[in-house]
Amino acid sequence: MRKEKKVTITINNQQVEVKPGITILNAAREHGIFIPSLCTLENLPSYGACRLCVVEVDGLRGFPTSCTTPVEEGMVIRTDTAEIRTLRQEVLKLLLSEHPGSCLFCGEQNECKQFMGTIRKVGVTTGCRYCPNDARCELQEITEKVGLTETSYPVYYRGFPVEKYDPFYDRDYNLCLLCGRCVRVCNDIRLNGTLSFKQRGKLTTIGPAFDRTHLESGCEFCGACVSVCPTGALSAKVGKWCGKPDNQIETTCTYCATGCQVMLQIKNNEVVDALPDYHSSVDKGLICVKGRFAIPEYIHSVRRISTPQKLTPVGYEDISWDDALDIAAERLKEAKPDEVLIVVSSQLSNEDLFVAQHCARHSIGTENIISSVMSDLGERIAPFLNLAAHSHTFDAIESAQAILTIGFDSTYGYSPLGISIKKASRKGIPLVTLNHFESNLDLFADCAMTVNSSSWTTVLDALIDYVSTGTLNKPLPDRLKVEIAEAAKLFPKDAWNVIIVGPYAFSVPEGKHVLERILTLRNAHGWKVIVAHPYTNLNGMLALGVFPSLKPGDAISTGSNDTSERAAINLTLVDSAKPKKVVYLIGEVPDSFIPECDFLIYQNGIAAEWERKPDLILPSALFAETDGTVISAERRILHINKACDPYMDAKPDWWILGTIEDKMKKSKICYTDMATLEKDMKKSMKGSANGKKALSFKDIDVIGQLTQHTGRDKRFTESRYRGIPLRYVVSGMKVIEDRMETVCEEREGV
Amino acid sequence: MPDSIDAILSRYSRKLDELIPILQDVQREFGYIGPESVKKISRYLRISENQIYGVSSFYAQFRFTAPGRNSIKVCLGTACHVRGGATLLEMLERGLEITCGQTTPDGRFDLERVACLGCCALSPVVQINKDIYSRMTVNKLMELLKAYE
Amino acid sequence: MNKLKEKIVSAKKKWEEIENNREPLIFVGAASCGRAAGALELIHEIDAFITNHKIKARVIQVGCIGPCYLEPLVDIKLPGEPRVSYNNVNAKTLSVILKSHLLEGKPHAKLAIGHFGKDTYKDIPPFFELPMLKPQVRIVLRNCGLIDPQDMDHYLAVDGYQGFMNALAMTPEDVIATVRQAGLRGRGGAGFPTYRKWTVCRNAPGEQKYLICNADEGDPGAFMNRSLIESDTHAVLEGMLIAGYAIGASKGIVYIRAEYPLAIERLKHALQQMRENGLLGHNILGSDFSFDIKIKEGAGAFVCGEETALIGSIEGKRGMPRSRPPFPAIAGLFGCPTIINNVETLGTLPNILRNGAQWYTRYGKEGNRGTKTFSLVGKVRRPGLIEVQLGTTLKEIIFDIGGGVQKNFKAIQTGGPSGGCLSEEFLELPVDYESLASVGSIMGSGGLIVMDEDTCIVDVAKYFLDFTQKESCGKCVPCRVGTRHMVEILDRITHGEGVPEDLLALRTLGDTIKKGALCGLGQTAPNPVLTTLRYFRNEYIEHIKDHRCRATVCKDLIEYRVIKEKCTGCQSCVRVCPTGAISGPRSEPHNLDPSKCIKCRSCYEVCRYEAIAGDAIVIRSAEKKS
Repeated sequence: MRKEKKVTITINNQQVEVKPGITILNAAREHGIFIPSLCTLENLPSYGACRLCVVEVDGLRGFPTSCTTPVEEGMVIRTDTAEIRTLRQEVLKLLLSEHPGSCLFCGEQNECKQFMGTIRKVGVTTGCRYCPNDARCELQEITEKVGLTETSYPVYYRGFPVEKYDPFYDRDYNLCLLCGRCVRVCNDIRLNGTLSFKQRGKLTTIGPAFDRTHLESGCEFCGACVSVCPTGALSAKVGKWCGKPDNQIETTCTYCATGCQVMLQIKNNEVVDALPDYHSSVDKGLICVKGRFAIPEYIHSVRRISTPQKLTPVGYEDISWDDALDIAAERLKEAKPDEVLIVVSSQLSNEDLFVAQHCARHSIGTENIISSVMSDLGERIAPFLNLAAHSHTFDAIESAQAILTIGFDSTYGYSPLGISIKKASRKGIPLVTLNHFESNLDLFADCAMTVNSSSWTTVLDALIDYVSTGTLNKPLPDRLKVEIAEAAKLFPKDAWNVIIVGPYAFSVPEGKHVLERILTLRNAHGWKVIVAHPYTNLNGMLALGVFPSLKPGDAISTGSNDTSERAAINLTLVDSAKPKKVVYLIGEVPDSFIPECDFLIYQNGIAAEWERKPDLILPSALFAETDGTVISAERRILHINKACDPYMDAKPDWWILGTIEDKMKKSKICYTDMATLEKDMKKSMKGSANGKKALSFKDIDVIGQLTQHTGRDKRFTESRYRGIPLRYVVSGMKVIEDRMETVCEEREGV
Repeated sequence: MPDSIDAILSRYSRKLDELIPILQDVQREFGYIGPESVKKISRYLRISENQIYGVSSFYAQFRFTAPGRNSIKVCLGTACHVRGGATLLEMLERGLEITCGQTTPDGRFDLERVACLGCCALSPVVQINKDIYSRMTVNKLMELLKAYE
Repeated sequence: MNKLKEKIVSAKKKWEEIENNREPLIFVGAASCGRAAGALELIHEIDAFITNHKIKARVIQVGCIGPCYLEPLVDIKLPGEPRVSYNNVNAKTLSVILKSHLLEGKPHAKLAIGHFGKDTYKDIPPFFELPMLKPQVRIVLRNCGLIDPQDMDHYLAVDGYQGFMNALAMTPEDVIATVRQAGLRGRGGAGFPTYRKWTVCRNAPGEQKYLICNADEGDPGAFMNRSLIESDTHAVLEGMLIAGYAIGASKGIVYIRAEYPLAIERLKHALQQMRENGLLGHNILGSDFSFDIKIKEGAGAFVCGEETALIGSIEGKRGMPRSRPPFPAIAGLFGCPTIINNVETLGTLPNILRNGAQWYTRYGKEGNRGTKTFSLVGKVRRPGLIEVQLGTTLKEIIFDIGGGVQKNFKAIQTGGPSGGCLSEEFLELPVDYESLASVGSIMGSGGLIVMDEDTCIVDVAKYFLDFTQKESCGKCVPCRVGTRHMVEILDRITHGEGVPEDLLALRTLGDTIKKGALCGLGQTAPNPVLTTLRYFRNEYIEHIKDHRCRATVCKDLIEYRVIKEKCTGCQSCVRVCPTGAISGPRSEPHNLDPSKCIKCRSCYEVCRYEAIAGDAIVIRSAEKKS
């Protein structure tokens, strides 16, 4: 690693060596010198508006801001003279005159804190004690550090009504300092552009055009603005009044296969918030609304199942784990192997999945393991698995020479991909979008094709035609001719062309044909394909053999270049329509793709109302409550870390399954402790999963298919976790998904 | 009318630095910047409508509501101020029963203040539509308004 | 090059035909000021007159020659005679003049103000010997009011573009050296040595460089730039060519405020002419220098006169200033090295390159070379556009050139909202960058506003601060919030609700804003307040302690009264009072009800100018106590 030549500067009579070109503020921070600042934030472009970080520099006139001035060799800087201190205090006084901070200098503030907690919910913030940001506010912190003990200017309360009509977070612009962090993060980092400064001078406000709601203005509700706001102006609706968290635990969000890292904020053993990690190599902190806001309400939903229950003629009865698992073991033992059906969720952890297939194969003796992935996709399962398992890593977008998105919209999901695409487009990389509605990337596209999905195969065939021969030979319908010709030209031959396949591509009726053409572009023409899908741990399922006839490790490539390496999933082994004795749902809900059965075991986190009432209910611990691993779409092995204790009597799925196996006494090995489980699981994965080389999969053959119909109309557009639609437990999700539906319907194109 | 916006846009390249000239043309053509215009400009320049609104609301030249049939601009430059410009504005607000930046309910007049029309030696100055009137007094002004429909 | 040289030859011949005209020529000052005064209507009348009388005369529209108080100006030049200038022409006097001078060949001495010859002619003094013009040194304004700015031939005939051609024959470095030797400082306000910025830009890495002409002229009370562009458009453009060549720019932009439609029109016209004559485009006049100029209009933001905000505006963003470093000369428009020069700076360049640096140093003084244009307005007898050597005293400007003040002189405001108000004791102050800065003001773009005893200094300070407040971009805390507090305090003082602590508060706030603000707008915003506090402290104290506004301007501190002894009961005021505060039957002294009076001046003005009495209504404020 080449060593960068450092520069020597003098700060407060102290000579230090720093990297060239960094700001004075960062240089000072590196050496433990405190300079207050409000509008600066790591990762955001500097702005220089609050004027608190001013310093004196020999040779520069006046008081330059240290956050915008880069260091130069030999610079002499003073950060703490009497004049600077006075200036900072005066500037802070001015700042506070626009902010209702009445508790800041009140002599009673400590006593008040102890006794008047309920006053907060009054709805109007006139001081710290009434503010959701109390005790974690940067303004409070700065006031203390700058040493301000009083203010001389009358406070100007701007009198804006508090904005509560949008989902997920509230806005009280009476507290806004106009530091611009939210505007910068929304425009420069998220490339979304919902927030903007409006008007000027003292009339400046922040928000979308024409006083529209954020919902109407393209807001992704990613919450980036909320996380960067130094005051209580922007606050998440959930966890608003929880105060300073006790600690934070980083874990992997399991709502989709992207694998974003979230920092769960814990207070009193509850998840109260989830923040992005801008240093994450997976997502760079660019998480979506689900990871950002939909976790606490799910984990701590009132519908959480608290104890094991069995169904009796007079209703459900609470029973002990011992009794419950005895019942389960008995039922599973007495049924013949092909009379049992195990249904797993693709959103379970590797550990859960490993024990589930172990239980199915070694204790029950059956290959009847299915998941909603298989029934959702039906005939599409073969091309889908082959595309998803070999999905390119996301950095393909950064190296792309041209990008095509099919059925992809990143407003409420898959943000790291969406933002990477926007960035590439801004740099000049051609972008073509293909959707049956106006997606959020259309604004960036060089060619946005909004056509009915019945025409997608025509479009893709024409593209393949152009790529193979250099011209459009086949006849095309007039209305598409011009557009396709324009789009096709943007993809140079033998170039690094990238396709991003979104959920709408495989959800439309023509899905199988669309996916097959994408396979052609990849296999015959070397295009790179990235698949964005909601089946969180699909790669875990493949690696651990949670498909009929696919054993653990079968699908993992050994790393040899043997192209005849193939794995097989034989769906003919399962007759999912035939009635069964026992159906065991693990993280799935009794949708219509489940056959009739005598005994239904429901193992999940949230209870719900279905026609078919489960006979035995086992409460699962959810991802924030256990440790584990998942394999993301990029085939990274990511960790799930326990952030809070399981709800009431809930237990991890792998433990439940392992204990059932123990009770069944059919298998020699039973996994009731994590250490043994981890060891065996790693061993079973073998091949390239051993960490030396990147994990990759063989090509997969699918024999036969399951019945397609799952009874869910909005399989891919409605977000689910462990079978439960998020909108069922997270109120904001209903609002945004309703809007998405309207967008899709409005522009059901040509 | 929507065609006009397309005609205006076709005269410019699709770069951000064309935004203000485009807005100026739209304002000249329609008298104000409406949501439909903002939407079309957004698609053309490939930036969000909110960004466009943020830029246009910064500048005093742009308005977002339809103007009156006659536009009154009172100069409040220094020279006009020391010679009674503020009183002229006050009288107009009183007489027309609107405040600066508004349009009369019958759509006849809209009232604006401008920082300086550059005719300082002939202060105070008032501009109605394209006509500039110098050495204005309160009485002269109220008479003048009668001539505008 | 040859094509241009040919054109110059024919242009000079054409000019010859004006100097030695064989037909009568009528010149009318038709720039914005002239038009506001009614010039277009006069041209219409003149056209009608010469058509009706079948006279073979030509009307030439010229720009603004300077003394606006004389507008509209109509000049008549008969063959073999000097051009005679008639001032404040209206429809009535026009017909007298046309009949006498044009028809009968007799110049009307009484209605004339001057002529453009050397000695007194038929009782008419030489125009440039008039007291307003004599002390002036007209370099930048040399052609204004004398040529038709829309006729390129006129400009070429008076050695236009000669300066640029001289520059092309030198290396860019030599051009910069010439400007350095001449000692030219930026005329936009800061007074930064022009050659220094140019040198940084020239040496900055980067293929694409930009030259921007700052014609935003936002200072209320300043119209020098507008006048220059309208009256001698090509001079400014020639300056841009010279500057562009010196720094190595290939693209020029004129950023001009939208409120100057006539100037914009003239620019468009002139640019077209330049293109037609090979002065813009690739390989200009056969050299390696390629340059083209675009016009960008401002959209109503004073702050866009600040360099980095101006750049932001051109880039299609909100006009918010940016921190420096990086400096525009190194990373400016679109990240490229950029020079922004004021209209006047550019307008000076052709003269320097034409006559040489040495010649320019003859004017002004060491460190403050050359001349500066000023707009002298306000309560002077002779307001208008002037040009004097740097170092001329305020007294000379106000009294010799401006003709002094009708009533009593009170203050002179320099530098617009960024400058300060100076009292009587500073009349001997030389007008140069350092002297003005030393007393808390600035040169600014050249607005000079004269105030008399009828101007309330606290009101003026409030007015300027209100302006700055409204034009503040809102980015940084000291300016956005600090100026608001200052305005509120001044507001209270002018409403009679001031307290003694306010004066200290104003000083503290002023100090904070000066030190803490991000850009020049904020940093200089407190100047009007700070200077008035220093030099007119008594007036503030009177407002606060005595509730007295000695200039009778602050409405809450004054009262309108009818002097019964003087009132003839003519009811003129009753007719114009908008609230019915004055009442009274005919021929009896009227009554004024203070509770209804909104102090709109209607009655006061009508009594003074139209009614019988003339002085029956007075405006009074409380008596001085402290």
